[in-house]
Amino acid sequence: MAGASVFFQCPTLSNPGDPGSVIYNGTFADNVVVDGMIRADQGEILNPVSPRQVCVHLSSGDGFVNMADKQLDPDGNGMGHEQYMFGFKNITGIPDAEAMLAGMLAAEFPAPTLKFKEGDEVYLSLTNVGMMMRPDLFDPHTVHWHGFPNASAIFDGEPMSSVSINMGATLTYYYKVIEPGTFMYHCHVEATEHMQMGMLGNLYVTPAQDGTQKSFGGRTYSKFAYNDGDGSTGYHVDFPVQILGFDSNFHDQHIAVQPLPFAEMYDDYPMLNGRGYPDTVNPAPLPNSFDGRLSQPIPALITANQGERILLRLSSLSTVAFHSLTVQGIPMQVIGEGSRMRRSFYTTNTVTLGGGQSMEVLLDTQGVAPGTYFLYTTNLDHLVNRQEEYGGMMTEIVIQ
Amino acid sequence: MDLYRYRISGALLLAASLLFFAATGAVAAIDGVTGTSFSFTAREGVIANPDGSVIPIWGYANGDQAVQYPGPTLIVNQGATVTVTLTNQLAEPVSILFPGQKVTATGGASGLLTREALPGGASQVTYTFTASHPGTFTYYSGSHSDLQVEMGLVGALIVRPAGYDPQNKATWTAYGDARSAYDTETLFLMTEMDPELHYRAGAGLPADTTGFFPTIWFYNGRAAPDTMAPAGAGWLPNQPYNCLPQAHPGERVLMRIIGGGRDSHPHHTHGNNFELIARDGRLLESAPGASALLVADAPVFGTVPDLAVSNFTQAVIPGATYDTIFTWTGQGLGWDPYGAIDSACTDADHDGKDDVHGRMCHDASCTDTNGDGFDDASKEYCADHGKPFPVRLPGQQDLTFGQFYSGGPFLGSAASLPPGQGGFNPAAGYFFMWHSHNEKELTNNDIFPGGMLTMFLVLPFGTDMP
Ligand SMILES: [Cu+2]
Ligand SMILES: [Cu+2]
Repeated sequence: MAGASVFFQCPTLSNPGDPGSVIYNGTFADNVVVDGMIRADQGEILNPVSPRQVCVHLSSGDGFVNMADKQLDPDGNGMGHEQYMFGFKNITGIPDAEAMLAGMLAAEFPAPTLKFKEGDEVYLSLTNVGMMMRPDLFDPHTVHWHGFPNASAIFDGEPMSSVSINMGATLTYYYKVIEPGTFMYHCHVEATEHMQMGMLGNLYVTPAQDGTQKSFGGRTYSKFAYNDGDGSTGYHVDFPVQILGFDSNFHDQHIAVQPLPFAEMYDDYPMLNGRGYPDTVNPAPLPNSFDGRLSQPIPALITANQGERILLRLSSLSTVAFHSLTVQGIPMQVIGEGSRMRRSFYTTNTVTLGGGQSMEVLLDTQGVAPGTYFLYTTNLDHLVNRQEEYGGMMTEIVIQ
Repeated sequence: MDLYRYRISGALLLAASLLFFAATGAVAAIDGVTGTSFSFTAREGVIANPDGSVIPIWGYANGDQAVQYPGPTLIVNQGATVTVTLTNQLAEPVSILFPGQKVTATGGASGLLTREALPGGASQVTYTFTASHPGTFTYYSGSHSDLQVEMGLVGALIVRPAGYDPQNKATWTAYGDARSAYDTETLFLMTEMDPELHYRAGAGLPADTTGFFPTIWFYNGRAAPDTMAPAGAGWLPNQPYNCLPQAHPGERVLMRIIGGGRDSHPHHTHGNNFELIARDGRLLESAPGASALLVADAPVFGTVPDLAVSNFTQAVIPGATYDTIFTWTGQGLGWDPYGAIDSACTDADHDGKDDVHGRMCHDASCTDTNGDGFDDASKEYCADHGKPFPVRLPGQQDLTFGQFYSGGPFLGSAASLPPGQGGFNPAAGYFFMWHSHNEKELTNNDIFPGGMLTMFLVLPFGTDMP
């Protein structure tokens, strides 16, 4: 491996105060990483190039996850059907010399959540560690920040109009984050294949208005979906929920090094945040049956105290279909879509998202009795984990 | 990387080369047939696809010209009395519905939804309507529609607003005022196909549409990469329309989107959000003339109707039409997308070229007299003018280069690439993929890439459209 080409790029100033003294292999205080990122505004970067500098290091490669059909136990491992996948792993803070090893077979589903703040200047390094289980493949990878406003070609991650990173090397993307909203990210190389294989994740940006106090509807908020000016998008707790799914045939053919069935693609494992119900409500990171790694770290369980407003950051990276989601018992107020605040809000009981769509929905739990409520797809045939029923694209909202 | 992909990347190269060496002017407007009186013939034909498949279709032909998929785009003027006379050379009755229009049908035989032309060319139907309202509409067969529309009997209808003059850019709007003004327009008629149904129907066999399972997807009757080949390409005699949006920074691109098939598709624009300004030929306005002036969250220059919705993906539903405005400027990137300031360049007349030598160059000025934050001529975002490129790119051996990559990160200045990589972006524009985001639909009968996919080109200021 060309280990020398791994290069986590978090530039700093060799001469503080001199913007001309940028060095690209600066030092940072990786002992204070708590959020998967190295942030200047948390004092983690020595002599940052900007007070809002953020550095992240992702690896791209392969790995395994298990599906939620644990009752039927089709593989006899007690953990649900094992699926080969491609994916990302957050390896921020790991020294360059160890990055390849840290990323190998470490793919997570969904990809690590990327949460930024309006005003951040993001240096996102992507190291391609290769696909250990498919040594016949030499695929490059990219990060595509889906919905980035006024994008450039070089940092768009769409490989036909840009560059993608080869195995053993690192490409650093730069994003000046000037708009809040719910986005998403994915690899765009051979998009149908790499996305079906799992290179998908949540990405959202909180607004500059956060931290100010605004009263709306008799309650005071300090967190908001957008810079609304009046607190109308204020919330207490937020949850990213991503619609996605696996076509088991596609994944099984892939690890068997067979021709890929694009035309037949159908997600028989519909999921939210990389899990089918009831795995969605398991708060623990889930190990896979291949090597025990915790490859499904993100639950889709939504919890709040009665009286709080919940912000759902919904997105879809299904490669196959539109899905409607409903919340039983709590009206859904749609306040934004496509990373923009709507000019007018509306209240509904279902929202519909195709691949590449996002939406912000407020759930007001004021007057809602404590208990368990369900968020699920009304495409009812997707409430399965392949052969196992009472599963699939569903999670719970627990009001305490 | 497998054999399939090598095959298709060859096809992509072909399309790209033709795009830049064969395409001719007049790209700002949508191809179609204009006038008030049209004569269509429904006939059998075939289409050719990038995967090598040749699929039987039933289509509308304009007069005695080639049958085509989709049907001829009818471009008429607001207020005109439009007549379409339909002759049928298929083996079953056929007709045309014009949703959104008040149609009078005469001749032919009465059918369930409208009057029909009977097989064999024996009878003709004439459909007459007054194009009272400007906008984007569709038309399709109202006979045996579950099969006939799938077979290809579908097309677009564009009604130009009163005052529209193709020679006068100041009059180019979708709905008659500045909120729908545009610099370039592109049609996106989205359809999908189940080839099995076509082979059966084309052979005169019963075709059961309830088992519909599409395996190839189209913009304007072409699957990628043919979407990017020239309009009227000789090797696609029955698919005359391409789908090739392009604009300079700051220009308004009108996307006229039509859900032409039976599936819904999420249409995603890389590069920026768009503003959805109209649906089914009606502006999204709370009252006539009500508009929103976009400043803080402006993805477009100028105004849009007050109920417009900003988004990066438009859900396109069967039978519905959508008009959106898209603008790209590179605003707020935090670095200068035109690259370093060229101290040897003097561009006092702000045409993007050196005043003496005429070469493209990027001088030290960013002139913003109207205070909108952008250079008045180039629409460069002045706050980022001269800001350095923020990262170090890996060496060439560590990168794979796309065919539409110019070789460097800067708009208007190409850089060298390894032999055999890139090479189809001589103007050093930015390409952005516009595509269905149900990514399965980026395939042609099991082969990726293809399907509902095209590239939008941002042309550097000072360059002409190819
Ligand atoms: Cu995307
Ligand atoms: Cu894309």
